[in-house]
Amino acid sequence: MVATALHGAEQHARMRLRRRRLRELARHLALGLIAFVLVAPFYYVLLASLKDGTEIFSYPPKLVPMPPYLGNYRELLWDTGFLRWMFNTLFVATSVTALKVFLDSMAGYALAKIEFTAKRIVFMLMLILLMVPIGALIVPLWSLVSALGLTNTYLALILPPLANPLGAILMRQFILGLPRDLENAARLDGLSEFAIYWHIILPLIKPGLVVLAVIIFTDQFMSFTWPLIATTSDELQVLTVGIAALRAHGGADYGLWSASAVMSLVPIGIFFFVLQRQFLARSLAGALKQ
Amino acid sequence: MDVGTGNAPPGFGRRLRLSPEEHLRLGRQARLRRELTGWAFLGPMFACFVIFLVVPVLGTVWWSLQSGGLDGGTRFVGLTNFLTLPGTVGALDAITNTLVFAAISVPLILVGALAIALLLAGIERGGSIYRFLIYFPVLVPGVVAALIWLFLTHVDFGLFNNVIRSVGGKPVIWLGADHALTVLAVLDVWRNVGYWALFFVAAIIGLPKELYQAAELDGASAWARLRYLTLPLLRRIVFFAVVVATIWGLQVFDTALVLTSGGPGTATTTVIYRVWLYMFGATNKIGVASAISLVLIVAILLLTLVQIRLLRGRRGAD
Repeated sequence: MVATALHGAEQHARMRLRRRRLRELARHLALGLIAFVLVAPFYYVLLASLKDGTEIFSYPPKLVPMPPYLGNYRELLWDTGFLRWMFNTLFVATSVTALKVFLDSMAGYALAKIEFTAKRIVFMLMLILLMVPIGALIVPLWSLVSALGLTNTYLALILPPLANPLGAILMRQFILGLPRDLENAARLDGLSEFAIYWHIILPLIKPGLVVLAVIIFTDQFMSFTWPLIATTSDELQVLTVGIAALRAHGGADYGLWSASAVMSLVPIGIFFFVLQRQFLARSLAGALKQ
Repeated sequence: MDVGTGNAPPGFGRRLRLSPEEHLRLGRQARLRRELTGWAFLGPMFACFVIFLVVPVLGTVWWSLQSGGLDGGTRFVGLTNFLTLPGTVGALDAITNTLVFAAISVPLILVGALAIALLLAGIERGGSIYRFLIYFPVLVPGVVAALIWLFLTHVDFGLFNNVIRSVGGKPVIWLGADHALTVLAVLDVWRNVGYWALFFVAAIIGLPKELYQAAELDGASAWARLRYLTLPLLRRIVFFAVVVATIWGLQVFDTALVLTSGGPGTATTTVIYRVWLYMFGATNKIGVASAISLVLIVAILLLTLVQIRLLRGRRGAD
């Protein structure tokens, strides 16, 4: 009796384990399929970039182009402004990121730790305007920037993005989460407010700063509408604007387009690979934010 | 000496007696110092915020009451731009296209993201490789995403038609008038589903485990747990995602410009696309451009208010 009951229980447990394994397998299959569908377009474009003008059109398409044709890349790098665009994008994105992380963390500190009268109202205003996109403001922004004499300068690309309040709101949230004791101890020791911010708060919120930097950098890397409007000279085109110009002018050059798509994903791909955790925290910051 | 600190060391008060006037003066001084420090820290960021966000929002209102072009010579026309907006070439089309775009893409994004998130939260190992792959399209600039989609939707050698051909179907003109807007919306799904999937994963992992253990003990099936536990618990966060994804959806521009150039005809000309056309493609439509921008801004502000209320509620109720 006892033996059969034990036997039954064991069998039951084994069945449950098998069911769990089957369910795990099904989930992996589904996720694998989804990931494949999401990533396949990249491979298809990479493939196209390694074919010459006639081979692109051949059916059925070759799934492994051998030998690969590198003419598209040669044309992209030497005959277009691609490298210049890439430099501009990286330069603008880095400048905006550096400035913004600094300004936003200071503003976040003020909003979190200093009791001053306007605080509440400033914070509310930031929350309300948080989602207003630069794209909806291009008319007044354009006239403002040209009134300031900034059209066709790097400043025109760097300054307007600094207005976005997301960073300050995020930093406030991070700093509010810190314990008060450290900062009070420092205050009793006679540290200045700036020294507290610089030597005590900033090191404590370093992970938050990195996440913020990643958010700002990727947003800048991807931004298109404002750079399109703020610049007319070729020297100041950023990557997205340059690529849109490639598409708009000079006929259908699929080889060149595919090469430019692949090449423009290289820097962000590298960053993503190195800073995976921080990138994925972008989504989590969405939960925190506002 | 900071009188304001509450926890002064013992003996401190005995040595230092302040007269009421002096107390008041020091208090005022400390408050002034706090005000100044506050603004010193907030000031630089706030200046940028005011100059490049608050002023332009107010500027949009001002511009929307003007008529004329970019190169000066504008004059005040009151509400004319708003009254004539429905009859202005392209304005209503742009609004309709944008709304249809959002109505197609937002539900697909969120349903897809929820499904992926439930799968991701359910597996025991190997999650990070899926996360990496599923998130990658999120990091593609809209312009590049649109270029990539040119290769998927091309009638002759596009991936979609190649797949259709290989199973013996008839090729489809993906970017024709019938499908262009839908394709644009699906492109947006491809780009954004990973973002919201990871957002939901974080929310699902944060749900209270005890409820699930209790439900399992009671013999609730996986489907019942999803239907009666997970989804109701996630309701607020899903609603938040709906609001934010809609706000983002209303801003669609770069993909439409590169993939379809707003066409065929005006089939994929969206609101911001139209603003851009009014600005640089016409000499006398700067007021109309601002009026239609203002419609977009007001819509976004209303959605933002809903979103703020949602977050307030979450902090209060749950």
